[in-house]
Amino acid sequence: MVRDYAARSREIIRDEPGVREAVTGATIAFDEKRRKGYAEVDADAWRRWAEGVKNHTLTHLDHYLTEAEARLQANGAQVHWAADAAEAREIVIGLATRRAVASVVKGKSMVTEEIDLNPALEEAGIEVIETDLGEYVLQLLEEPPSHILGPALHKSLRQVQDLFAERLNTAPDGDPDTLARAAREVLRNAFIDADMGITGANFLVAETGTVALIENEGNIRLTTSLPRVHVAVVGIEKLLPRMTDLAGFLQLTARAATGQPIGCFVSLIQGPAAEPGDDGPEEVHVVLVDNGRTDVLAHEHAWEALRCVRCGACLNACPVYRQTGGHAYGHVYSGPIGSVLDPGLLGLHDAMPLPFASSLCGACEDACPVRIPIPELLLEWRKEAQDEGLTPWKERAALAGLASVATRPGLYRLAGRIGSRLGARGAGRALPMLGEWARDRALPKPSPRTFRQLWRKGIE
Amino acid sequence: MSAGGESSRERILARVARAAASRGRLSHPGALATPAADPVAGFVKCFTSSGGEVVKADRGRPANEWLTDFLQALEPGVVGVAVGPEVPAGLRPRLPDVAAAHAGAGISVAWGAVSESGSLILPSTGTRAVQLLPPVHVVWVPEGRVFARMEDALRELLDGLPAAVGLHSGPSKSADIGRTVVTGVHGPGRCMVVFI
Repeated sequence: MVRDYAARSREIIRDEPGVREAVTGATIAFDEKRRKGYAEVDADAWRRWAEGVKNHTLTHLDHYLTEAEARLQANGAQVHWAADAAEAREIVIGLATRRAVASVVKGKSMVTEEIDLNPALEEAGIEVIETDLGEYVLQLLEEPPSHILGPALHKSLRQVQDLFAERLNTAPDGDPDTLARAAREVLRNAFIDADMGITGANFLVAETGTVALIENEGNIRLTTSLPRVHVAVVGIEKLLPRMTDLAGFLQLTARAATGQPIGCFVSLIQGPAAEPGDDGPEEVHVVLVDNGRTDVLAHEHAWEALRCVRCGACLNACPVYRQTGGHAYGHVYSGPIGSVLDPGLLGLHDAMPLPFASSLCGACEDACPVRIPIPELLLEWRKEAQDEGLTPWKERAALAGLASVATRPGLYRLAGRIGSRLGARGAGRALPMLGEWARDRALPKPSPRTFRQLWRKGIE
Repeated sequence: MSAGGESSRERILARVARAAASRGRLSHPGALATPAADPVAGFVKCFTSSGGEVVKADRGRPANEWLTDFLQALEPGVVGVAVGPEVPAGLRPRLPDVAAAHAGAGISVAWGAVSESGSLILPSTGTRAVQLLPPVHVVWVPEGRVFARMEDALRELLDGLPAAVGLHSGPSKSADIGRTVVTGVHGPGRCMVVFI
């Protein structure tokens, strides 16, 4: 639950110190690679261009969605539209049932996490196997991913060694190579046996109906190639107008995510296998998912968050995310982008207090390949929360009190004198907003005289 | 498509159109200008820095003979191969053909390559299993088919786009376990290019 953010953060920092260590190490490494990847190109020009292309696409989305649909159908693929998570699940399960699917292999996909697809498939009696190495680790542990790119980056080598020793009979001190080989063996058979492959999409190109997927392991290439049915679950904001746009986005996304010039594997899928020699799937389905996106698109400010390409660069740059990893946030989209996207997707009420889970340092905006003004959007959500009375009553009362004191010189003078006598710790404890902040901090001793008193005597 | 699907389609498109109309339609910024370098040298630099290998064939010998010896000399030596249907006789090694899942190496001919990203362009008609299942993937690349920029390659690919295209830019890798990079996780652990 999102609303448990504060409690969950405290728990993680207190009870699972390894998480903070692993997440901080991994995100700093990712962030350094991103900086290096940006430095090799004219990143500012690329980012401005990408922002422009996405803004154009989002303001012509009706046109590009219908163009993509027509292209996909002409290519022999089938297109489905899902207004919400329930409808998306229903469509996928319907397809699986119709083709008597017993087992599904999956490529890492945030949108299928968002719509809770795996539990629904399992309930329908279908075996689901996550094939991304990190996702596979988490599936064995029954945990959700904690990072867009490195879903299991909060896990240490020791934890994976213990898990694989128990589940895959590897040596207790197996090195990463040995562990990966053991997983490969299990998963290779899963690919060959699966009836259906399910993926998300990084992009959907309207001009050609191309579902584009970026990865490093090759599991998505296999997921979209070996099973007889491929289903791509695609958020409606993933559209790009033309293949030439895709050329830029494939490279920019990879540089933002891992600093690579491009992912080791990119799949460009237009439709089912049609020509002789092609051993690909007989059926390709694209499920276009709204699930709150049109609400975000209609929002005066938040629509800019729909430019997001899910590279994870803002998570890697965020000093707040680094303390806890993604699980504290309570929703599939965590970190800075989650804090601006979730209020739009879930409704502000259900996404509180995420817009406040930030120090507004601005590192996220500087890292973002599509220049989403995350700090500005956080402030907009905070303002809305304040206006709608969603912030804690103590905080609202404190702000109202501050406003009335600050606009009355006599009262302000009196408050200053009381404050300097009480000391910061005492004042912090007495004031509703500062109490929690002052609890765990050593505060400087305030001057015995107020600024006004000093001013009257003349500051030395 | 179900009646529910139909109405969701209409509803989504109507909401999208309303949002777009209220905001004003923004124009496309045009092409992203990336500099074009020497195609082959740029490709080699980028592809090898991602862990890909570029191998020089002995041009004094028939290509298929050279490849046969090369594959047998690998560690472990290749016994059976899976060869894509696009590979002409002169480029097929003289080794037994086996199913891709059991082959020591897959052999393909690329449609082209991209210099700026170090990518091989592999159409699905080249048989995806050959490109993905064997632990070693050897790809013949016509030297004249190396495009400086991804945009140029994708634009040319638009004519006769196959059902699927794979861009391979190095061996399969992952750092999901203990942040240590391992290769050959799902796809080929070695990806080798030979120019023709």
